Order: sequence, then C-alpha cells, then structure tokens
Amino acid sequence: MKANQQDRRFSLLLKLPMYLWTIMFVFVALLYIIGLSFLSRGERIGITNEVTVSNYARLADPQYLQVMLNSLKLSVLTTLICIVIGYPFGYLMARLKPTVRSIIMLLLIVPFWTNSLIRIYGWRILLMGNGPLNTFLLNLGIISSPLKLLNTDGAVFLGMVYALIPFMILPTFTTVDKLDFSVVEAARDLGASPLRAFFTITVPLTMAGLMAGCVLVFIPSMGLFFLSDLLGGSKSVLAGNLIQNLIKSRDLPMASALSVLLLAVTGGVIALYRKAGGSAGELGLF
Amino acid sequence: MKKIMALILCLCLSALPLLGLAEEEKVVNILSWEGYVDEDTLNAFTEETGIKVVWSPMESIDEMLLKISQSGGEGYDLILTSDYSLDILRQEGLIQKLDKSKFTNYGNLNPTYMSQFYDPENEYVIPYVSGCTLIVYDPEKVPFEITGYEDLWNEALQDSIGTLDLDRVIIGVTLKSMGYSMNETDPEILAQAKEKLMPLYKNIRAFGDTESYAALVSGEASVGFIYASFASLLQTDAPQFQVVYPKEGIGFGIDGFVLTAASKHVDSAHAFLDYIMNPEVAAHNAEYQGYTNVNKAAEEYLSDAYWSNPAVCIPDDVMKGSEIVQDVGEAQSIYTDIYTAFKLQ
Amino acid sequence: MKKHSFGSLAFMSLVLLVLYLPIIVVVVYSFNDNTARIPLAFTGWSTRWYDSLFEGRGGYLDALWLSVKVALWSVLISGVIGTLGAIGMTQRALDGKRRSGWFDAVMESMVTLPIMIPEIILGLAFMVIFNALGIRGNEARLVMAHVTFCVPYVFLSVKSRLVGMDQSLFDAARDLGASSARVLRDITLPLCRPAIISGSFLALAMSMDDFVISFFVYGAGEGTLPIKIYSSVKVGVSPVVNALCSLMIAAAFIFAALSRYLGAVKKARSSRNQMGLTSE
Repeated sequence: MKANQQDRRFSLLLKLPMYLWTIMFVFVALLYIIGLSFLSRGERIGITNEVTVSNYARLADPQYLQVMLNSLKLSVLTTLICIVIGYPFGYLMARLKPTVRSIIMLLLIVPFWTNSLIRIYGWRILLMGNGPLNTFLLNLGIISSPLKLLNTDGAVFLGMVYALIPFMILPTFTTVDKLDFSVVEAARDLGASPLRAFFTITVPLTMAGLMAGCVLVFIPSMGLFFLSDLLGGSKSVLAGNLIQNLIKSRDLPMASALSVLLLAVTGGVIALYRKAGGSAGELGLF
Repeated sequence: MKKIMALILCLCLSALPLLGLAEEEKVVNILSWEGYVDEDTLNAFTEETGIKVVWSPMESIDEMLLKISQSGGEGYDLILTSDYSLDILRQEGLIQKLDKSKFTNYGNLNPTYMSQFYDPENEYVIPYVSGCTLIVYDPEKVPFEITGYEDLWNEALQDSIGTLDLDRVIIGVTLKSMGYSMNETDPEILAQAKEKLMPLYKNIRAFGDTESYAALVSGEASVGFIYASFASLLQTDAPQFQVVYPKEGIGFGIDGFVLTAASKHVDSAHAFLDYIMNPEVAAHNAEYQGYTNVNKAAEEYLSDAYWSNPAVCIPDDVMKGSEIVQDVGEAQSIYTDIYTAFKLQ
Repeated sequence: MKKHSFGSLAFMSLVLLVLYLPIIVVVVYSFNDNTARIPLAFTGWSTRWYDSLFEGRGGYLDALWLSVKVALWSVLISGVIGTLGAIGMTQRALDGKRRSGWFDAVMESMVTLPIMIPEIILGLAFMVIFNALGIRGNEARLVMAHVTFCVPYVFLSVKSRLVGMDQSLFDAARDLGASSARVLRDITLPLCRPAIISGSFLALAMSMDDFVISFFVYGAGEGTLPIKIYSSVKVGVSPVVNALCSLMIAAAFIFAALSRYLGAVKKARSSRNQMGLTSE
C-alpha cells in the first residue's frame, strides 16, 4: 500500500513539469485569447477594457463568412488532392523492396529538413511570368505567350498541396507497412479483383493512416498565411490571412474572436476524428 | 521532492530570460525594413565606433506599430519608419527627444524635409530619405496614356496592376482621384471612397513591393503603383517603364529615425544617427535605396544617374501639389476596415 | 507487385520530381551571376554568393545560428519535460488497478493540442501572453514558444513506445526491490531511448522550420532563419539565402544518408550475430 502511494507520488512528480508547462502555455494562453475576444480595440494602439460581444456579432458579417468559407473550400480541396496523390504514393512506397523504399523515404524526408519558406520561394521563381517553367513551355511550343501562373489562387493551392503532402504520405505509409497482406491475398484467392480487394480490404484496414493524414493536412491548411503572401500576390485570403491582417491592423480582439472560431472548427474536426476511432498518437508520429 | 522539482522548474524559467538579455553597452537595436540601410554602412559604422548594430527586420509599418505597442518599445533603440507612423509613436509617448548637442552632422539636413507635422519643432526625428509613390507603365502594353490615379480604374487594365500594399496610401489616392485630401476623416466621404475603391481590386495583379516589382519586370503586370525606390530599380532593370507623376497630385513621404523612450543605449543611438547624417553616407544610402536624398551636404556626392532619375528628382511644380500621409487619429480604424474589406474580395 | 512496378515507379518518380523542382531551382539560383539589387533572371554561373555567405553578408549565418540555438534549447527542455511526462502518465495507467483519471485524460489532450491547432492561433496567444507577462528577451520568447510545440512530438513518441512495452519488465524489477527512481533510470529510460531520439529529431526539425509562431513571438533582435528569409522575400531575396539553403540541403542529404548507412550496418551486424541470417 505504502509502495503504491510512493509510486503515485513518483509518477505525479514525473508528470508535473509537463502539466505545469501545458497549463501555463496552452490552457492559460488559450483562455487569454478567449478573454481577449470579448474586449474591443483601442483607437490607435492597444485594447480597451470594455467587455463586448460585438466581435462575435461581426463574425456574421458576410465578408468574414465568405473568407471562412473560401478557406474551408481550399482546405477540403487540398485534403482531397493530397489523398489522391499521397495515399497511392504511401501505399506503393510500402510495397517496394526495402532498399528502394529506404531511398525513397530518404528523398521524402530530406526536404523536411530544408526550410519550407525557401522551397516556397523556389516555386515563386519557377512560376514567374518569365520564369523557368514558362520559358520551358514556350521553347517546347506548347504555349505561345507566358501563362499567368504566379499570383493566382492556383499557385496558392499548389503551394498548399506541396507543403502538406508529406503529412499524407507518411501516415499512409506507416499503416500500409503494418498491414498483413495475407488478408488481401486471401481475398484475391477467393476471386476478388485486385481493385475490389484494394477497396474492400486494403483501404478499410489502412483507414487509420488515411484519417490521420487528412487531419494533418486539413488543419494546418487553414492557417498558412504566408503561402498566399508569397504565391498569391497577397490576394487570395485564407482564414490565416484574415487573422494575420487583423493582428497587423492591431485589432487583436477581433483576431482573437476569429481564432476562437478557427479553434472551434479545428476542435470539431478532431472530435470527428476521435469519434471515428483515431488517436492523437497517430497524428504526432506519422 | 515535489518542491525540489518545482524549484528546478522555476530556476529554469527564470534563467531563460537571461539568454536574451546579455546586453553590452556598445550596441544599437534598430527596428526597420530588412536592408533599409546598406549593410556596408552598418559594418563601416561598427568598425569606426565599435558599436554593434542589431537589425530587427519588420515586415510592415503595421507590424512595427503592433510590436512597439505590445512591448512599449523595450529592446529597441531606434525605429526607422514613415511619417504618419512617426506621428503615432510620438503621440503615444513611445519615443524620446534627441539630444542635438551630441550631433556634429545635424546641420547637413535639408530644411525642406524638416519641421514636418510629425515633429514641428524638430525634436524627435532624423529624416533618412524621402520618396514618392509613382505610377509606372509600359506604353507598349497599355493601350492609352496614363496621366493620373483615375486611369488605374480603367477596364482595360484588368489583372495588370502591381501595387504597394498600404491601406493609407491606397485609400489616400482613391480620395485624391475624387478630389479630396489623402487625410480625409469625414466618415461620409470615406464611405464614398470605399465605394470607389472596391472595383479597383479586379485590376490588381499583385499586392506588395517586391511582388509588384517582380510582376513588372517579368512582364506579368504592365502598370505599377509603387514606391520611388522600386521605380528607380526599374530604370535599369526594365527601362521600358515610363514614370508618371499623377495629375491629381503626387503623394510623398519621409522616412526617419526616432529614438524609443525605452532605449537603453541612448549614446550609441545618437552616434549611429550622427553617422547616418554624414554627407557621404547619406548620399550613398539615398542612391542605394533609390529614394530622394534629404541631406543638403550630401548633394555634391550624388552621381549623375541620381540627378537624371525621374523617380527621385521630382520637378518643383509637381512637388507643389504633393501631399503627405498624416496620422488621422480615430479615423484610422475606418481606413483599416475599408482596406480589410477591399482585400477580402 | 511485379506487374505494376513500372507504372508505380513512374508515378512516384513524378511526385518526387515535383517535390524537388523548387529545391533544384533554389540550388541553381544560388549560382546566379546576376548582381542586380533584386535579381530575378538567371544570367550566368558564379560562386560569389557562397563567398558572401561565408563573409557573413546579410546576417544569414547569424540568423541560422539563432535558429540552431533556439532549436537546441527547445529540444533539450521539451525532451526532458515530454519524456518524463510520458513516463509518468503511462506508469499510472499500467499500474493495473487504477485507470487514469479524467484529469489525466484532459491533460493528455491539452499536451498534444499545440500540434493539432493551426499555428497562427498559438502565435497570437503567445504574443499577447508574453507581452502581458513582460517577457522581453527575444531568445527566451522563442524558446518558450518552441518548447510548447516540441513537447507533443517527444511525448507522443515516447508514450507510444511505452504503451507497446511489456509491463512484466517493470514488475519484475519492482519485485526484486528496485526503487521507482532506479526503475526509471535503469530500465525505463534506456528502453525509451530510441523513441526519445526520434521524437527529439522530429521536434528539432519542426523548431528549425517554424515560421508562423516565431513570426508573432520574436521580439527585439534579429529573427530566426525563417523570419529572416520571410522579411528578405518581402524586400527582395539575396542569392545568399539560396547559397545557405543549398548548403543546408546538402548537409541534410549527407546526414540522412550517413544515418541510413550506419543504421543498415548496425542492423546487418546484429541480425547476423543473432540468427546467422543476412538482413532482409
């Protein structure tokens, strides 16, 4: 009994730093944001101490709603494209010979270690009116005048898929890698076509990875404001841009209100994910 | 045991700030746009005086105001920013008066660029450069002659303008195209300006300084509404672009240094300012940035290219009709809201 | 497997090619001879930007150094906090009699929250809270923010390792009279080592690459490398950035290849020793 109590104390001691840190920098910080969303901005600089719900009333403004909807649309689209490209990639990768597989894994991981901003900047050069891509297409005679590539919504979309696709590939790879393929073979032996076996056996069994990938792609996609800055000519606006614009114009309470909304959307997505049987562990480990 | 752990944690937490506060006396912290003073100048200054320059990059005036309002300016010594924001900093009591007895080069400054609204008694600000916002266009690609702001709304320019990205200037020129001042505060007139401004969006190809510049050079955009600095660069990189002084009146601004009230390196900051006012240094940086020189004594060091650059040498009769963006006080929030609505289309 | 291997390899190569396109551009442009203030066109080959980089031009090396410092501090602190936290949490759950309480469940969600929500929310939260608390030191602000989003990576990594572990190991040690501290030091920590390392590496990569949170948090002083790059892009990127990033890419490749190679050698050796079989 005494030993048990000691154990408990010891494990509490181990947890304590993490709990304190989390309470301070996650719980209190988010509470602070929620509190801030009920204040209003000062005239030039700062915040007044009047308590108000007007920020939330302003959320209903069609202007803001439109941005949130556009942002959601782009995120959903990004997630879909990431599934279409990332899932097969992760699947095929797991089916490769170990030697080839480890090379591809390496090729996939290395960009992770290089700055994501500079990679986006690389796209910027690539997509410019007189950039390499246009020059290449012109020289091939595929196009006769330079295409408008940079500073378009398409460029933002491309950048987003580009930045987030590894987060779809890696969880898929992990689950497919763990999959027992004798089940699939059994289905094949029983006469299922390869496609049918794939969709009725493989996909459901690797759902965990697919779902983790969706969450890992969908959630950050709403906040990546720098993509629209660097590739969209600061034009197309995501939820993240809206918050950033509000922060820049020093309307912190309104920015907080939008953050709370975004937090709620995110919470909803995670709750759905949990309900469907996903665990947090899958998300942090791919 | 628990107590010990908590103690260790507290120690860790309290030791952390020390990481960032290891300050020596001989340092000056400057907050401004990345690269806004030539690196060679900074290095030469450090070599001459032994004072290290720490440059905190800011992305925009708004970001600077946010940072300063949040921190009270602590950690920064000098801020290099534009006219109306200088006024906001002064009115909010975030900057302090300069000690002119510490300067040897103060007399070099050109009085034309002094005694401005943000500092009528010349107590706070050391002007660095001045610059206009200009329209540039490629006559080959634009089917008509551009003479003023009004032309930017022309339907032929759909998706072909690269523009700077500052609420006060964009709304300011909208007001000017309607015959009002750039510093209008009447909510009704501002509401009209909003109506006028909104459709401009579909003509805009890119927002932002380098974004617009890149769009112009690469041929994506045929019209630019840009700072003189970028118009100067175009003179060499894309000479087909023609500079227009808008007939409604040119908007100009002055960028200057101010000393934060919270500065802990007042002497170093003064030494830096004095160095910046040195005629040769001032001439070099005005040319390097492609902006108008504000230092009288520096004029003899300016090159021929400078004197023949229409983006920096503005004729006197054009300057007569110029207007400077000023702080509009409470109306600022109207400007912000209009611009947000504009960008969100 | 054999039959669709050509098509699948072609597909994968195409994806990888697109993944590497911008990187190739960055590397090629690091050799750009164009010396215009804002160089856009590729005009010829030169290594001058590498020289400039090593002369310390543009302060990019300083920015890299700041990034490295912040990342190392963050990984160190989050490594300790996250590892101990994961061990503490699973110990209770593995105890057999007691299931973890609601508080632990809530805390677990809370701990992992920073990597679940869009970064911009945390960025805003840290900015206001650090300013409210009067925390001014640039590095301190960055480290505190980075620790917060690094902890989940270490925590999740170590926790998944512990959950999959055989409880009898710990029970046996306790039965033999080892104290909790002894079990921790001699059994739990060594067993968790691979998980701690992989979690820390992930955290390190995330910290080095973080832009959104750092952008809002950083105070007076030079920014981290991502911040520096972002503000450079805003005023015109110097090819010095390309040179630096090219070198970082090269370093990442060498490091990754080396660790694969060493891992493979080790694995081959141990499997040969254990079973007299060649590895895979």
